Amino acid sequence: MGKWIRWWGLGAFVVVAAILGCVWIFFVDGWVRSLIEEAGTEAVGAKVELDAADLSLFPAGLTLARVQVTDPKKPMTNAVEIAQVSMGLDGLNLLRRKIIVEEMVLSGVQVGTPRVTSGATREVSPQEEESDMFSIDLPSLEVPDVKHILEQEDLETVRLIEALKADLKREKDVWKSRLKELPGKAQLAEYKKRVKQLKKAKKGGLKGILGGVGEVQALKQDIEQELQSLKGAKKEFEEKIVLLRTRLEQVKTAPKRDIQHLKAKYNLSPQGLANMSQTLLGGEIGSWVRQGAMWYERAKPFLEGAHALRGGEAGPEVQTPLRGKGMNVHFNEAHPLPDFLIRKTTVSVNLDLGDLAGTVHNITSDQPTLGLPITFTFSGDQLKKVKSVALEGALNHVVPTDSKDHLTVQARGYELGNIVLSKDAKWPVALTSGLGDVNMKAEIRGEVLAATGGATLTNLNLVAGKEGDTNVLTKSLSSAVTDISRLSLQADVKGTLDQQDVSLSSDLDRILQNAAGKMVRELATKFGTELQSAISAKIAEPMQELKKNFSGFDSIAGDFTERVTQHNGILKNLLEKKLPTKKLKGLKGLEKLSDGLKLPF
Amino acid sequence: MIKLLAKLLRVLNSETEPGQISLGFCFALIAGLTPLLSLHNFVVLLLVCFLRVNFAAFLMGLGLFTGIAYLLDPLFHHLGLAVLTAPALEGIWTSLYQSVWWRLEYFNNSIVMGSLVFSVALFVPVLFLSNLLIRRYRQHILAWVQKTKIMQMFKASKLYETYQTLSAWRNG
Repeated sequence: MGKWIRWWGLGAFVVVAAILGCVWIFFVDGWVRSLIEEAGTEAVGAKVELDAADLSLFPAGLTLARVQVTDPKKPMTNAVEIAQVSMGLDGLNLLRRKIIVEEMVLSGVQVGTPRVTSGATREVSPQEEESDMFSIDLPSLEVPDVKHILEQEDLETVRLIEALKADLKREKDVWKSRLKELPGKAQLAEYKKRVKQLKKAKKGGLKGILGGVGEVQALKQDIEQELQSLKGAKKEFEEKIVLLRTRLEQVKTAPKRDIQHLKAKYNLSPQGLANMSQTLLGGEIGSWVRQGAMWYERAKPFLEGAHALRGGEAGPEVQTPLRGKGMNVHFNEAHPLPDFLIRKTTVSVNLDLGDLAGTVHNITSDQPTLGLPITFTFSGDQLKKVKSVALEGALNHVVPTDSKDHLTVQARGYELGNIVLSKDAKWPVALTSGLGDVNMKAEIRGEVLAATGGATLTNLNLVAGKEGDTNVLTKSLSSAVTDISRLSLQADVKGTLDQQDVSLSSDLDRILQNAAGKMVRELATKFGTELQSAISAKIAEPMQELKKNFSGFDSIAGDFTERVTQHNGILKNLLEKKLPTKKLKGLKGLEKLSDGLKLPF
Repeated sequence: MIKLLAKLLRVLNSETEPGQISLGFCFALIAGLTPLLSLHNFVVLLLVCFLRVNFAAFLMGLGLFTGIAYLLDPLFHHLGLAVLTAPALEGIWTSLYQSVWWRLEYFNNSIVMGSLVFSVALFVPVLFLSNLLIRRYRQHILAWVQKTKIMQMFKASKLYETYQTLSAWRNG
C-alpha cells in the first residue's frame, strides 16, 4: 500500500489549492469589476465605470462603489451615477452559474452628472437641435401686395387657360383635316349621278332591270357605310367637345383655388392659431417621448435576452456554439430559475426636485422562466419642487410575443419656473412661474406605443412678446397670454417606438383664437377680395379668347350635321324608288316572278 | 527541450515502476485533453499528488495532450453533443443537472463532455499499453540501444552529459 500512497502529496495538493484560492481572492474583485464594466459598456454603447468592486464569500455578496453610466449621446455626462450598489448573492445558485440576488440596494442615484473624461466608445454623431431652432408660424398681419404676388406667382388659372388654348387650336386643326378625309360634297354628287343612271336602267327592259337591282344594292351599301363613318366621327367630335367644355369649367373655378393657395402661402389663415399649444409644447413633449423610447429600446434586448436563446419547451436546449468553447446543452430544472435575477431592488434617487425612493421587483432577462414581470414603484413627498410624485409600472415580457409594458406617473403641485416656450424672434414666450398637477399613463404593446396625459397648470405667470412690438397680432397675442393664470393641457402620443405622433390640445388654443382669430379672418377676407378682382382682371382677356376659340368648333359641328343630313336624304330617295313591273308581264316565265318581286331592300 | 528528453530517458531507464509512469501518463491524458480548469481536474491533481505516480511523466503527458486537445476540439464537440443529446441518456443528464457539483463540473458543455468521455475511454487501454511498452523497452530495447553506435555517439554528446549530471544530482 505504501508503495502507491504518497502522504506528503496530499499536503502538496492542499498547498497548491490554497495558493490558487489566494490568487482567486486577490484578483477576483478586479475580474468582477472589469466584467461588469465590459458587459455594461457593450449594453449601453458608452463607458460604464466602477470605482471598486468587492466580492465577499461568507456571506456571498457584492458591493460596487460609484457606478457611472455614460449617456451615449452626451459623452461628458453620466446618464446615471450610483454612489453605492450592494447586493446579497445566493451562494448555492452561484455555484450553478446563476446570479440570484435576493435584495439589492442602490443608494445615491443621480442623473445627468458631469464626467471628468469622455465616456464615448465610438464617435458621437452631432445631435439634431430639437427645440432651440424652431420658429412659430404665426399668421402675418401685413397685407401682401397683390399686384406683386400675381407677377411672381405661377397661377393655376393661367396655366389651365394656356393649356386649353393650345389644345383647342390643335383639336380644331385635327378636325378640319378629318373633315377633308370624310365623304363630302364630291361624294354626294357621285351618288346622285349613280342614281340617275339607275333611273335610266329602269327603262332598258328586263336585262336593264335585273342589272339595276345589283347596282341599287351596291349603291345602298356604299351610302350606308359612309353614313356610318360620318356618324362615328361626329360622335367622337361631340365627345371631344364635351371634354374641352369640362376643362373650360375647371378654368372657371381655378381662380378660387388660386386664392385659397395664396392665402395659405402668405399666412393669412387663422389655422396657425388653432393649435398653438402643439407649437409651443409639442417639441418639448416629443423630445421626452423620443428619449424615453430610446432608453426603452436599449433595455429591450435585456428584457428579451434569454428568450432569444430559448428553443421549445420539450427536450434539451442547445445554445449557439463558440469556437473552442463548445455548446451548452440545457436540461429541464426541477425548480427553474433565470440565470440572472434580482428579486428586490431598493433605490434612492437624488433628483433636482428632491429625493425619490422606490423599489423594483424581479429584474431578470428571463421572465418566461421566472413567470413574473418586472414591476416598479417610486414615490416622493414634500420634495423641493413638487408636493408629491408617484410613479408605477410594469415591464411584462413573460410571454415575449405578447409583451405588455405600462407606466403611470402622477405629480401634484409641481413648481414650474423659467421655462422658455418659444424662442421665436417675432414672438418669444416664457413661463416664469406656476404650479402643475400632472397625470400620465403610457402603454407599450409589442412595438405599439400609446400614451395619454393631462395637466392642470395654475397660478401661471407668463411673459410674451418683446418690448416695442408694433405688430398688432403679436401684441394682441402677448396680451392674451400674459392674462392667462390657469390652463389645462391634454397630450396624446400614438405610434411605434421608432415613430411617434404627439398631439396636444389646451385652452391656450381657444384663448389665442379669441384674441386674434377675428383680426386674421377679416384680413384674409380683404386679401381674398383683392386677389379675386386682380385675378379676374388678369384672366379676362385670355378667357374671351378661349370662348372665341370654342365658337370655331360650331362650324365643324354644322358641317357634320349637314353631311349626315344629305347622306340620309339621298339614301331615303333611293329607298323610295321601285322597279317597273309592266314589262315583266310580257315575258314568259317571269310573270310569276313579277307578282312578288321587289327590290331586296 | 534537451532537458525534457533527458528527463524522459531518465524516467524510462530508471528503476521507477512502469505502472507509476503509465498512471502519470494516463492522468495527464485526462487533464490534458479536457479543459484544464474543470472540477474533475482538481480530482486528477489530487490523485497525482496523493498516489505515487510519476510527476515527470504526468507533466510531459500534460504538455503533449494539451496540444493534441486543441486539434481534437471539433471531434470532442461532436462526441459530447451526441452523448448529451442522446434520448436514452436524457434522464441521467437531467438528474445530474439538478446537482450543484455537476453544474460546477460544467458537464453539459459539449467539449467538456466529449473530451472527458474520450479520455476516460482511453484511460485503461493506454495504461496497459504504455505499461507493456515500458516493460518491453526495458527488456529488449534498452540493452540493445546501449550498444548501438548512435547510442555510443549519444553517450559522448552534451545531452548525455546533462543526463549524467541530473543523475548525479539525484544520487547526490
